[in-house]
Amino acid sequence: MLDFSSNYERFVGRLKLGCRGFATQRVLALGLGGVLAASATVPVNAQQRSLEFWTQSYGDLLQWNATMRDLTERFEEETGISVQHETVNWSVAFDTWLTVSRGGAAPDCADMYWLHSFSAIGGDQYGPMPLNDYRDEWPDLEERFFEGSLQDVFWQGDFYGVPWRGDIRAFIYRTDAFEDAGIEDAPDNWEEIVDAAVKLTERDENGNVKRWGYAYGTAVNSVSWLLPYYWQAGGEFMTEDGQTATIDNEAMRAALTFMRDLMWKHEVVDPDSMEANYDPQPGFLAGDIAMIGSAEQAWGVELDRDYPSLEGKWAMAISPKGPENRASFSGGGYFGVLRGSDKVNECIDWIKFLSRDENMQMLSGASGNVSPNRAVMGSEFWSDRPWKVVVGEALSHAHTSQHPAPAWSAIATPEPGAVIYDMMYDAIVKQQDLDTVIARAQERMQAELDRSKNQ
Amino acid sequence: MERDKLIFCYTMVAPALLVTIGLGIYPMLASMVMSFQRYDLLQINQIGTPFVGLDNYITVFKDPRFVQTVVNTILFTAIAVVVSVAMGVFLSQVINANIRGRSVLRTLVFVPWFVPPVVASAIWMWLLQTERSPINDALMSLGLIDSNIRFLTDPSTIGPFSIPMMSVAAVRVWNGLPIIIIFLLAGLQSIPKGLYEAAEIDGASILQKFRYVTLPMLKPVLSVLLALLVMNGLGQFEINYIMTGGGPRNLTNIMAVYSYQQAFMFFRFDYAAAASGVILLMTSVVCIFYVRAQTKDDLR
Repeated sequence: MLDFSSNYERFVGRLKLGCRGFATQRVLALGLGGVLAASATVPVNAQQRSLEFWTQSYGDLLQWNATMRDLTERFEEETGISVQHETVNWSVAFDTWLTVSRGGAAPDCADMYWLHSFSAIGGDQYGPMPLNDYRDEWPDLEERFFEGSLQDVFWQGDFYGVPWRGDIRAFIYRTDAFEDAGIEDAPDNWEEIVDAAVKLTERDENGNVKRWGYAYGTAVNSVSWLLPYYWQAGGEFMTEDGQTATIDNEAMRAALTFMRDLMWKHEVVDPDSMEANYDPQPGFLAGDIAMIGSAEQAWGVELDRDYPSLEGKWAMAISPKGPENRASFSGGGYFGVLRGSDKVNECIDWIKFLSRDENMQMLSGASGNVSPNRAVMGSEFWSDRPWKVVVGEALSHAHTSQHPAPAWSAIATPEPGAVIYDMMYDAIVKQQDLDTVIARAQERMQAELDRSKNQ
Repeated sequence: MERDKLIFCYTMVAPALLVTIGLGIYPMLASMVMSFQRYDLLQINQIGTPFVGLDNYITVFKDPRFVQTVVNTILFTAIAVVVSVAMGVFLSQVINANIRGRSVLRTLVFVPWFVPPVVASAIWMWLLQTERSPINDALMSLGLIDSNIRFLTDPSTIGPFSIPMMSVAAVRVWNGLPIIIIFLLAGLQSIPKGLYEAAEIDGASILQKFRYVTLPMLKPVLSVLLALLVMNGLGQFEINYIMTGGGPRNLTNIMAVYSYQQAFMFFRFDYAAAASGVILLMTSVVCIFYVRAQTKDDLR
């Protein structure tokens, strides 16, 4: 049992000892307070000429931070405004921006995405800030940037910032596997995908697959694999006003049938593709997956940088054509200002600095992301490797993955219970009746869109 | 003097109490309040957070996915606790014995403790990945299987049990075993050796010594351990979420993962809070039984 008496007495004794120095302590405290008060004016001035800026992490983190350091130093030299840059890891990015949109700690300006969702969640209080009053700072926005990328910075007629990165996906394949199978060119349409995948799939004597001919996509977000097939079949997920779901149609049947047949009829796709722990990268690197339908352009950067031994064994191609077109998945991010910031003018200056062609070039090079800036995509950097030429060409088939509905991120999240994930899983993996599955998904998606109407 | 002692005691526990209230009690109460409100992030600016009574609880219990997670949570907890404790009792006896190489054995047994659950999940995901699993490779080389075992993706079931469930449960046992062994080892080392000597004199066999000496003397430790393991098991999250995300087909989904998905994927903080409320309720029941059992023991 604890002896409280002796502990207590020791505590009281120490208190009494401490009191002897009490007068000394008062003098020290007053002095410290005075110093702090005097120095308070200096930090305030510095704070007025500084801003806080967050970005996600891209490419090689050390190189990315070094690039940001260079940009912030040059900006400070030019304007006297100091930029405190912080990197947000992609693994926590969504939760971070969700928290910001609900009033959590926020920077002054940042590299952001999913404008529609976070604007809706933040309302008039938090999240991205409309910059309509500053629209004239970029009079040549339409000339300098690709039209598709500008969809990501406008919401309900308001202007929110400047797009700076794109995520274009192209077809990627193992040229060595193609050579072994006697296939000369990358598939150009869905039928050729099937033919090639069947030739490229290999099994051992027990029927275990040694090499899958095809994988739907590279991204961790399995829902993003369906999007290009559906667009290629001529479909759109919702009306332009984001109010009505439009997935119960022949295009969706065509896309889901194509994906399902690849898995079960032709048996060229791993049945575990839609499980949470599926990762096609090790398989592709090892040559156990011959083709991937929709690969992020960051794969090109990573293969060049980290796997030089695979040089000459892989290549990219533009997306094979579906029944209607060869749309490619396109994501994006933008630089914007957060509500509640009192450094708006400083942020505008910073974003204008970043959006200069030469700085966008630096950002594109360091991050490995395609740029929505025409001058950057026309530069030598984006044509010095064959895969970069393909990525540039894929831009002309780009279809934005952003949709004008706040509920889109909930609808398209790759989790069981989400509308599109459940539709894909039920149709492709469980092989349930397509009409029933699609009708159910249409109803659920409309309910989700209704949830966030009139935001 | 008594009052001074009381003030002293509260002063000493105040920092820890403040942290517990700030980071534990307050968020728990806030979550409970949220579970009785409409808290949809996509509608909060329009309709606020009106009181809806038990609607959220009714909604989650009408969701067959949630009901399955309740069953899965209970099953996972039962499997993990029973297997962990059984293995813990056995291994702690082995480690407690005066055998050569005991310290090496102890180190090996305690290694999983140094691996955070997130890292453990990532490692085991690789080990159990169907096509590149070294376990499948070894089993195939030995001729024990002729096709890969889909440790984390096989959707076939026998009742509520499935291979993914067993695989994830095995990882939870592996990661949680060291702390159990430490508890039991401490308990074993506090048993007076005289009792074993007396039992030996009376002609007790090894099993009889275990049954009539070891187990009764370990009862206080075991009751604390079981209560802690059950309460911890009901709120488990990371291993299931990282290894399988609750799949395949919801077979490894548990209440904490369901709650997370509702909040951060679907922006339904109300449903997430309701699911968490069910976890709290189940944990409280265990806690009440434990406290009552402890009180009865103290009165004796």
